[in-house]
Amino acid sequence: MALTFNGGIHVEEHKNTRSCAVEAMTPPATVSIPMSQHIGIHAEPCVKVGDEVKRGQRIGDVESGLGCPVHSSVSGKVIRIDERSTATGAKIRNVVIENDGKMEVSPDIVPWGKKLADTTTEEIIEIVRNAGISGMGGATFPTYAKISSALGKVEHIIVNCAECEPFITANHRLLLENPDAVIGGLKILLKAFSLRRGEIAIEDNKPDAIRKLEERLADSDLIDIRVLKTKYPQGDERQIIYALTGKELPMGKLPADVGCCIFNAETCAAIYNAFVNGMPLVERIVTVDGDCIKTPKNVLVPIGTSYRDLIAFCGGLIREPKKIVNGGPMMGFAQWDIDSPVTKGTSAILALSNDIEHHYEQPIACIHCGRCVRGCPMRLMPNYLALFAMQNKLDMAEQFDITSCVECGSCSYTCPAHVPISQYIRAAKIKVIERSRLAQFAREKSQNK
Amino acid sequence: MTSEEKNITNESTSEVTAPESASTEAAGSVDPNAFVPELLTVTPSPHIRAYDTTRTIMLDVCIALLPALIWGIYIFGLRALSVVLISVIFAVLSEFVWEKLMKKPVTVLDFSAVVTGMLIGMNLPVSVPLWIPAVGSIFAIIVVKQLFGGLGKNFVNPALAARVFLFAWPAHMNTFVSPETSLSPLAVSVPDVVASATPLSALKNGIMPTSTTLFNSVLGFESGCIGEVSALLLTAGFVYLLVRRVITWHIPVAFIGTVFVLAYIFPQSAPTLDFALYEIFSGGLFLGAIFMATDYVTSPITTKGRIIYGIGCGALTVFIRYFGGYPEGVSFAILIMNLLVWYLDRYTKPKRFGGAKVGKAKN
Repeated sequence: MALTFNGGIHVEEHKNTRSCAVEAMTPPATVSIPMSQHIGIHAEPCVKVGDEVKRGQRIGDVESGLGCPVHSSVSGKVIRIDERSTATGAKIRNVVIENDGKMEVSPDIVPWGKKLADTTTEEIIEIVRNAGISGMGGATFPTYAKISSALGKVEHIIVNCAECEPFITANHRLLLENPDAVIGGLKILLKAFSLRRGEIAIEDNKPDAIRKLEERLADSDLIDIRVLKTKYPQGDERQIIYALTGKELPMGKLPADVGCCIFNAETCAAIYNAFVNGMPLVERIVTVDGDCIKTPKNVLVPIGTSYRDLIAFCGGLIREPKKIVNGGPMMGFAQWDIDSPVTKGTSAILALSNDIEHHYEQPIACIHCGRCVRGCPMRLMPNYLALFAMQNKLDMAEQFDITSCVECGSCSYTCPAHVPISQYIRAAKIKVIERSRLAQFAREKSQNK
Repeated sequence: MTSEEKNITNESTSEVTAPESASTEAAGSVDPNAFVPELLTVTPSPHIRAYDTTRTIMLDVCIALLPALIWGIYIFGLRALSVVLISVIFAVLSEFVWEKLMKKPVTVLDFSAVVTGMLIGMNLPVSVPLWIPAVGSIFAIIVVKQLFGGLGKNFVNPALAARVFLFAWPAHMNTFVSPETSLSPLAVSVPDVVASATPLSALKNGIMPTSTTLFNSVLGFESGCIGEVSALLLTAGFVYLLVRRVITWHIPVAFIGTVFVLAYIFPQSAPTLDFALYEIFSGGLFLGAIFMATDYVTSPITTKGRIIYGIGCGALTVFIRYFGGYPEGVSFAILIMNLLVWYLDRYTKPKRFGGAKVGKAKN
């Protein structure tokens, strides 16, 4: 019996690249590496225009605070440092490096000298931070900070291989082709937390990967494979925690508060790579798919590669796309610039034509069918939230728990009237949060008087 | 690996000499600019949608209604078809004309007016004058639906409100013929029909129906409105709607179950079980519970709310059937419960995920 949560929706899977082995990409002529690819503060470039850099060399650094360093993914020359929008829309400084094609590895890259058993928790955190590892599932929280903030509170270390978004098969292929890296990463994390047992959570639509893991873990009873039902959004950490432990993560709490810490499969592999080879996070697996791509593929991409180069590596476009999406089709961000770079959080690049939504029409009136309520993993009533948002009734929206929305998009997906429910909710949610912050600010001020 | 590295080196040298050709070669003779649009569409996620639309849902309801309708035409003759066709045509026409006059987008293609029309026609006795379905449909669409803002905005079920409006002509609305009677399909009115007692009117008087057996009542050999007689075929429609996930089981089961339980506990005549079964299989209960009480717009959205709503409909139906002046109470019961939908939704709001103390308590 596969584990799962209540609510959620069944989405057409589109896992077309399920059997496409990961191909290493021919490195592009230039890469454009953003100085921040995660939540937290931006790194400062520590190279100048004209500097020669090597692969794996640190090119951006964070003095203090939540953030991690950035490394070059190719060897070559820094030709510009400019500003460019990120996938989510913020302006960020990018270091643009012209690839000399030699892929020379920086001399700083040396394997960690000690055995895992002799490595301390602090040393592991330092390795992870220096390797610039941040969550590679999409939320991109700096991994070292996740580890250090959760120390001592955690009983469950969970590797998230649910991959519930349609189209994406990057984690699936990683588990098939390099399960030892994921398992090795988990072991390093277990060592950091001084725990013995770990869990790998995986959806039941990847039976071959489950078999592979079972083979590798046959002689170890310290890592459990927990099979999840294929359902969206099964990969959301709240839903994984609920499926595995039966605990509901309260609002505003971190997984560590209920004794769980969740890492993406590829993040684990990156930790393993940093430990064994000393190589920081400079490349990642990206699923390139969509009905406009000639040959959909899973590609090992140097960070900073532009979508254009990546798509060209996959045979280019065969028709004009309407949208280029960074991430999965349910929660990914539609991009306006095809020359934007792949970052640490880019799990997929999808080029979608109009046909993907060919049945999509102009929104019409809500008929109160209840599909959004049935599908909401947070047990909200999205139809009413959207209505209150339209009418700007923020009090009612707050009463109906608008701030609990995780913006998974299930409501918009299922809506037969094509009402952009999650968009309405998002807009009103920001207003509600802003309003309560202002109210708190006013309260504090009056108390100080 | 070595060949690949060589490949890279080759490219970089060619790039130095001829930067023009380098980009195409780097991608293996793919033009990276082909089909790149000048502007990309930026929208919030999600970027894909389910296939269900309002239209497919309404079509599913039409399909689910068909077996019972065909049965009605089979036992009441072609005049039944005329009645339903007229109500459908007038429902669609009034929606079209109104939206044209009000310069609103025309939405007849969402099939909601067709469903309303079908339900009005199926809720009429076959012997009504042919202007009755027309008046009913115009009232339902214009007064009940469009005046309140169109699809999704009406606060009571249009077809039921129209049916209750048509009780302004009780002589027409309460004359039921027995299944064998043949009536002219096209004559505007059919005077001098031989009225036959429905099982419900017998039950109302505290006697067991003699015009039909329980078995025939389930199959649909009884007098009544065009679409309500065959509980069996209406149930077939129910199963179809469940399979297509158009509705959930909660409202119909709670509704019919409540009527059965109350009739069983408070029988009006003996034997008790037969009485209770007649109560659920006669009249418009199946049609009302499966197709009208589950109307999305006027029914609650939460599971708990749906069960309370179904029980409320059932209790009111029995109350009206027992104490009201009219043998049938389904329409009135549903209309009254329609008015409570917002309160049912509001007070049965599910506890949000992680909002209950469960999370902390278990910890």
